[in-house]
Amino acid sequence: MNKLVFIYIIFCYLLASIFTLHNTISLENQLTFCLSLIVLFGIPHGAIDNVLSLSESNLSKNKFYFLYLLSMVLYVVLWFITPIFSFIFFLFLSSYHFGESQLSNYNIKNIFSKFTYLVWGIALMSTLFFYNSNELITLFNNFNDTSSFNLIFEYYLLDTLFYISNASLIFIFVYLKIKKSINSQIFNSEFYQIVLLHITFFLFPVIISFTLYFVFLHSIKVLIQEYNYLEKRLNGFNLMKFVKLLVPFTLLSLIFFSLFIITSNYFKINISLLLFSIIGISVITLPHSISMTNFYNNLNK
Amino acid sequence: MLLNVIQTIAPDNYVAFTFFIGYIAMLAASVFFFVERNSVSDKWKMSLLVSGLITGIAAVHYYYMRDYNLVTGDSPTFFRYVDWILTVPLMCVEFYLLTRLAGATKSLLWKLIFASTWMLVCGYIGEAFNPGGGGATSHSVTWGVLSTLGYLYILHSVWLGEVAKLSEASGSDVVKKGVRALGWFVLVGWAIYPIGYMCMDGGWLSGIMSPEKIDVWYNLADAINKIGFGLVVYSIAVSESNKETVKS
Repeated sequence: MNKLVFIYIIFCYLLASIFTLHNTISLENQLTFCLSLIVLFGIPHGAIDNVLSLSESNLSKNKFYFLYLLSMVLYVVLWFITPIFSFIFFLFLSSYHFGESQLSNYNIKNIFSKFTYLVWGIALMSTLFFYNSNELITLFNNFNDTSSFNLIFEYYLLDTLFYISNASLIFIFVYLKIKKSINSQIFNSEFYQIVLLHITFFLFPVIISFTLYFVFLHSIKVLIQEYNYLEKRLNGFNLMKFVKLLVPFTLLSLIFFSLFIITSNYFKINISLLLFSIIGISVITLPHSISMTNFYNNLNK
Repeated sequence: MLLNVIQTIAPDNYVAFTFFIGYIAMLAASVFFFVERNSVSDKWKMSLLVSGLITGIAAVHYYYMRDYNLVTGDSPTFFRYVDWILTVPLMCVEFYLLTRLAGATKSLLWKLIFASTWMLVCGYIGEAFNPGGGGATSHSVTWGVLSTLGYLYILHSVWLGEVAKLSEASGSDVVKKGVRALGWFVLVGWAIYPIGYMCMDGGWLSGIMSPEKIDVWYNLADAINKIGFGLVVYSIAVSESNKETVKS
């Protein structure tokens, strides 16, 4: 157990106590709690992709920003052409990214390491969706433009993914342990985290479940990795300088999101806030995932 | 009277069955630890004595709890807490004894004993003295949160705090691995108790498990935690004693 898992456990106990007292937490309060954490830690963890990518790359600044923005624009176009495919692509892309981040510390040198990342992420996402399917179906059905996403809950697709990915993940870890690619400590720790995530996703509503994972086990972990990486490479680097690096693009994201909410009220843009959020997050995730893959390659060199 | 009660244990009475098994297993473990105490070097004898005391105290309580449960059909909350309040601080003593050679101070010992006693006293007040009745939630949550603070302190100390640092400083892989193994008991094995607490009347998870099921889980967890804890300590003591024999 590391510090982040310890903090995660504290939050689980805290939330369990609040749920015991009040039976439920209103959606508004859930959103306030979750958005605060995401703004504080979630958005900043992807706000220095430029710094990380340019630190060990031959790309010029202009070329980097051009490619970064181009991938975002192309993904937006894809959303307009085929929303369902874009949504499913987003789920797989996030899965890979989460898996890569989770297992990056171990530097698994194996032919199927990338496959392991994907399986870890699919197990995570399918578990989140599996335990909270009713809540998600209701949420997607709330808006006309997101109701088609309920496709993933049909034909036992989700159930199949849930069982297969979790079983495969355990199989892969056992295999890696037997092959001595990971030691007992990592094996136990990973197994414990999987069980912990299952319990959390089963007990808490989907927004809280995802935020707990996303903030404590993903974003803060990545922020620490980023800080350590830059500290080694930049002279006199400290926490203050790190925060200053994070601020500009974090603020830009927030301003962009706020602008959309304001303009959508004035101009009645024909898109729900939920779909906008999903598209927004997905188009940020695509270049961020690519940047992070490069980052982890540099980290494990 | 006692024989009559024992003869009427129904084959599907898993609560009584696990109380019985728990009692025998704890007793056997005590005998084992006391006998094996002679096979380790002097500096590890205290650790095995404490392991034997933990399972011995639990065996006596399990003997009482089995009868209490059979006669009344109730959950023996009082006896459970008396058992825990004696044995859990002793488990914390084990952490002190294991890391003493690496420089653990008496203050660590008292901090762990205080945290474990705090955890259990608060838990007992939350579970047994509910002024609003079994279903009153605010009382049980308040004391549950206070109790959890004690648990989190121990968890932090063992995994990230003083105990963890001392085990790293011990220079012994056996002690490091042992403390880590005991840490897993605290992290996973002890987690059953707050879950059980939340399953009681008025708790967030009430209805998920009947009181009988909670008793079965408590019994299994107690047996695994106490005997397992002792066996890890025993394994460290034997390995370290063997090392000393080889050196001399």
